[in-house]
Amino acid sequence: MKKVRCIIIGFFLVVLIGTVFAESEIPGLIHSGQYSQGTLGSVRQSSPAQQSTDGVYNVGAYPLYTPELAQGEGREIIQIFCRFCHSTTYITMQPPLPAATWESVVNKMIDIYGAPISEDSARQIINYLRTYYTPLTRKQ
Amino acid sequence: MRLYINIGGEVMLEEKSGLMSRRFLLKMIGGGAVLLGLNKLTPASAQVSGQAIESLPSFTGPDANPYWNSVGSFVVYPQKLPLIQLTDRPVQLETPRNYFLAPFTPNAAFYVRWHLDEIPNAVSLSDWRLLVEGNVEKSLALSMSDLMNQFKPVSIAAVNQCSGNSRSRFQPRVPGGQWGNGAMGNALFTGVRLKDLLNAVGVKTGSSQVQFEGLDRGRGPEGKGSHSYLKSLGLSDPVIDETIVAYEMNGEPLPMLNGFPVRLVVPGKFATYWTKALTWIRVLTEPDTNYWMAKAYCIPNTPRGNTTPENVNEGKVEMIPIGSMPVRSFIITPDGSCKIPEEMPVSARGIAFSGYGRVVKVEFSWDGGKFWTKAELGEDYGQYSFRTWETTWIPKRTGKYVLSVRATDVKGNTQPDEGVWNPGGYLWNKIERQEVFVGAAK
Repeated sequence: MKKVRCIIIGFFLVVLIGTVFAESEIPGLIHSGQYSQGTLGSVRQSSPAQQSTDGVYNVGAYPLYTPELAQGEGREIIQIFCRFCHSTTYITMQPPLPAATWESVVNKMIDIYGAPISEDSARQIINYLRTYYTPLTRKQ
Repeated sequence: MRLYINIGGEVMLEEKSGLMSRRFLLKMIGGGAVLLGLNKLTPASAQVSGQAIESLPSFTGPDANPYWNSVGSFVVYPQKLPLIQLTDRPVQLETPRNYFLAPFTPNAAFYVRWHLDEIPNAVSLSDWRLLVEGNVEKSLALSMSDLMNQFKPVSIAAVNQCSGNSRSRFQPRVPGGQWGNGAMGNALFTGVRLKDLLNAVGVKTGSSQVQFEGLDRGRGPEGKGSHSYLKSLGLSDPVIDETIVAYEMNGEPLPMLNGFPVRLVVPGKFATYWTKALTWIRVLTEPDTNYWMAKAYCIPNTPRGNTTPENVNEGKVEMIPIGSMPVRSFIITPDGSCKIPEEMPVSARGIAFSGYGRVVKVEFSWDGGKFWTKAELGEDYGQYSFRTWETTWIPKRTGKYVLSVRATDVKGNTQPDEGVWNPGGYLWNKIERQEVFVGAAK
């Protein structure tokens, strides 16, 4: 019962709070004490390095922060081939690119960088990038 | 009295204050202003706290990136403060704008750009040697201790800027690292002159270039650009006399991600030549034709390296390796994050640099680039360093203002008001602008 009363009072206060801030009796004060749950996330601090007096200088593994690729046909083949040399942030970082540009990027990986991708797989990769990462098709 | 208030699912604790007196609350309930108040809350909070509650989009384009930095998330890496992510494997991280208020960029905030996936996590200085070899009288293998003790140490303040810095401004957009303006940094580098090392090994006649290779490797096949990252400088290039092999950066060992144990410092040239984790210095008899010299990091042989997609597609464009950094300047504050009250003197501050010689003039404009005033230059740390600038601007009236900054170097090069376009996304140096809002103060 007490809980319910609290909720009801709470509801009225939510409604009220804007009014209070908007019409403060202190001249010039428009809002104060506004908080909201952060939506951007927070970043944990890293721990101090473990060190020794020998000749070895090291840091820990480099962390990966790889966004999800768009769900769809061809995604798996991308995961197999593109991730061999680089993470797929190399795709998600790009601006939406025209289909022809994606095609030349994939061809560059094969012809210039020597990526062992069969013609059929290359076609699927290009199709996937066209379907989800051009100015007309990119969503995320 | 304590009040528990539920806003958007979150329970907040409000201490009793004069503002929230019981009488006052009752008055408000009686006043029937309930819904009106709620409506007012929403847009106001978006405006006031938008920066901390709403995120940037996860990508920009097909238009130009309108933000100063790139739009990636803040991420944490070893020996680094939170930096802006471009990619995670290989690692590319951008320095946030506010670090450029100082003439020297902290090591922990210095941007990161690797080309290949296998970058060093651990290096043993007991075994590591810098190898100076090739077309020389006598090859040398030098330990870190040898470098520090057998050669005269020299220090130089120099700007390291990625060739593709500001690539996200290009129209049409080009593939590649979508940097904002933060793929640059200035540091005091200390190390050994490349010339001293070359003299120590004795360069034989018939030599044309010096090639540099670091510890990084890629998973691609040997002989391809995806396997190793190789860069070369011509022996006749005057920069050879100024180049150093640095073992210190801002008075500290280099961060692993910035090229520990030593990196090449090529003052005035783009960072593509500043080989990280440098381990091989090879004197070549023939010009280097590897991918990273012949194909990558090449610019059109045109004024400003400017061309069009049409010319590229028609195969009309002669490409040459990128070289020195064109003059640039940046507004660091005001950054548009706060409204400025009219008549308040505002300190506009930033940095400028040029790879072609000392910056001699920085001009500031508050009307979008019609009228320019000279800014005051900060301390001179040498011709290859960031030069800070500062000026005081007093906005007389309310309104939206477009601030601009333009630098000129000792050779008379100045920043143009046009962008540039080339397929690599290099050499951007258009005049920078910052929009600010001036509000009423009376």
